Amino acid sequence: MSAPHVVVIGAGSTGSATAHDLALRGLRVTVVERGEVASGTSGRNHCLLHSGGRYCVTDQESARECIAEARILDRIMPDILERNGGLFVALNEPDLAFKDRFMEGCEVCGIPAREIPIQTALKMEPFLNPAALAAVEVPDGVFEPFHFCLAFLATAKANGAVVRTYTEVMELVTEGRTVTGVRVRDYRSGVSATIGADIVVNAAGPWAGKIAAMAALAVPVTPTPGVMVTMDCRLNNMVLNRLNRPSDGDIIVPQRATSIIGTTSWVVEDPDRIPIPPQHVAQMLASGQELVPAVGQVRVRATVAVARPLVTKAKADSRDVSRTFECFDHSADGLEGLVTISGGKTTSSRAMAQRAADVVCSKLAVPAPCTTQATPLVSYRSFYR
Amino acid sequence: MTEEAASIDLEVLRYRPGEQARLENFSVVVAAGAKVLDALDTIWATQDHSLMFRRACHHSSCGACAMRINGRERLACITAMADAAQEHHPIRVEPLHNLPVVGDLVVDVAGFFARMTASDLVITRTAEPELPVSVDRLPPPLRLRQVVVAEDLGRFTRFESCIECGICVSVCPSMAADDGFLGPAALAGIHRTREATRDPMESAHLLALADGDGGVWRCHSSFECTASCPQAVDPAGRIMSLRGQIVSRRWGRLWRR
Repeated sequence: MSAPHVVVIGAGSTGSATAHDLALRGLRVTVVERGEVASGTSGRNHCLLHSGGRYCVTDQESARECIAEARILDRIMPDILERNGGLFVALNEPDLAFKDRFMEGCEVCGIPAREIPIQTALKMEPFLNPAALAAVEVPDGVFEPFHFCLAFLATAKANGAVVRTYTEVMELVTEGRTVTGVRVRDYRSGVSATIGADIVVNAAGPWAGKIAAMAALAVPVTPTPGVMVTMDCRLNNMVLNRLNRPSDGDIIVPQRATSIIGTTSWVVEDPDRIPIPPQHVAQMLASGQELVPAVGQVRVRATVAVARPLVTKAKADSRDVSRTFECFDHSADGLEGLVTISGGKTTSSRAMAQRAADVVCSKLAVPAPCTTQATPLVSYRSFYR
Repeated sequence: MTEEAASIDLEVLRYRPGEQARLENFSVVVAAGAKVLDALDTIWATQDHSLMFRRACHHSSCGACAMRINGRERLACITAMADAAQEHHPIRVEPLHNLPVVGDLVVDVAGFFARMTASDLVITRTAEPELPVSVDRLPPPLRLRQVVVAEDLGRFTRFESCIECGICVSVCPSMAADDGFLGPAALAGIHRTREATRDPMESAHLLALADGDGGVWRCHSSFECTASCPQAVDPAGRIMSLRGQIVSRRWGRLWRR
């Protein structure tokens, strides 16, 4: 008898990592993605490999998850990360007053953090605001989201998975109260077809609600965009964060030859249509200059807005929603054969995949354990073969 | 940045293998400051989900959205709609040359990536000793400042300038004439890897590859790659430098005889 077949909807970071995990456990996997790999939220994310420092006071569950996952990613994809660390910088008295709570939060969450003399910080980051009052170093990093997803998918393909890009899910196929596959339109061939599945994993990020709605289900995933402004040159080597609670425009992530200022946060209905509010761009440039005054002398290369898939837990302010993830087995809603994995960060996508694959394997009575923590990924370049 | 939105026309090459290619017209309302990729995203979201184009980061780091805009190879994510419309209206959008077309604007990069693999180029490199780092051939906006890293912190790294977008392959006349040519990006990759590696065996192997059948001698020195590279990698300059290294190694051998 052949192995069970799982269809994963979405080739962003979550779907890519889930396909990799399931393929490693010996399942047959087909990924369907309506566009290119990482053409949705994952591609346009801030590229920050979180140490967890950003959440160590306000969301310690996410912070612990981040530091654990960053260490694992360092082992399984070391060649495609910039690991230059990050600084949390105090610019005023309230920031300074936050420092003790920050250090305590880092210690509680197991995030290595140390205060470095401000003169040392300014030598390392010569464009940092010279009026900075304190700097704490943490092991933040940077990735390139497209290559991040390609590396997971290339490894999944090496283990037998099939990845169908430009293939959109039009409906979930059900028999009684069980999902038995997906009806897709393949835009390469123009042909519609049904792909049978023992289980369908909904890894559609902020579009997860649209997939669930095909089975008349609701998932508490709120598309919550943020604006990021990419500058025309690289002004910093380390990730520069404001030493305070997470807020708008308080982080500059360097990447390749750019510096990316982020971000804001609001809620939209349709993640396919996100007009960029011009005042958000102005706000990013203004707060970016507080951390790095030279931002004001550099041209903008690109502005992007994309929706995070936040799993809501009935709190009004989107900044207060935990950035951790949830896995929903929809048998709890009376529908078998469908699992939704959503929320989280790109940094935690491997852990999200592990959770989703655990649920899938338990439903299919597949005993194989997760081995993604210790499996180095193959080169992203081997995805296109 | 203003908030005014304008309607702009594009003609986009539509194609599926086995079918006749044709140009299809679209009108799209985009905000001031919008890029060509934003327009394609809007067409896709509001008019036609069957439009195939590659995209991911939207800030010129992933290399996915390289295409021909008004006949010139560019990254759609950093090409302003307003500028493109001024050049030619409707804005014409077509896939890259010299790579097989999968559908519409999507090209198959498998062969290209295989050549990049042969070049041994790794994506992370040692960072420059100074900031800012700028790779788009604009004059440096700021005076360079030295970066001093404490010894116990090791060295800073950054991703390579080459984003493997395929633009240099599309513009290369030698590539158009010759399937076996490694091409500008891979040869530039060989040059970069030889700069970075400390392994003499790897270095010698790569120089032999550059001197081989698909290597630097097939380049017709048109310098189109260097002129078009959005990341100022200067593939043609690197190919010329590899030629010099090959020749000087040969002379060195003659002297030693």
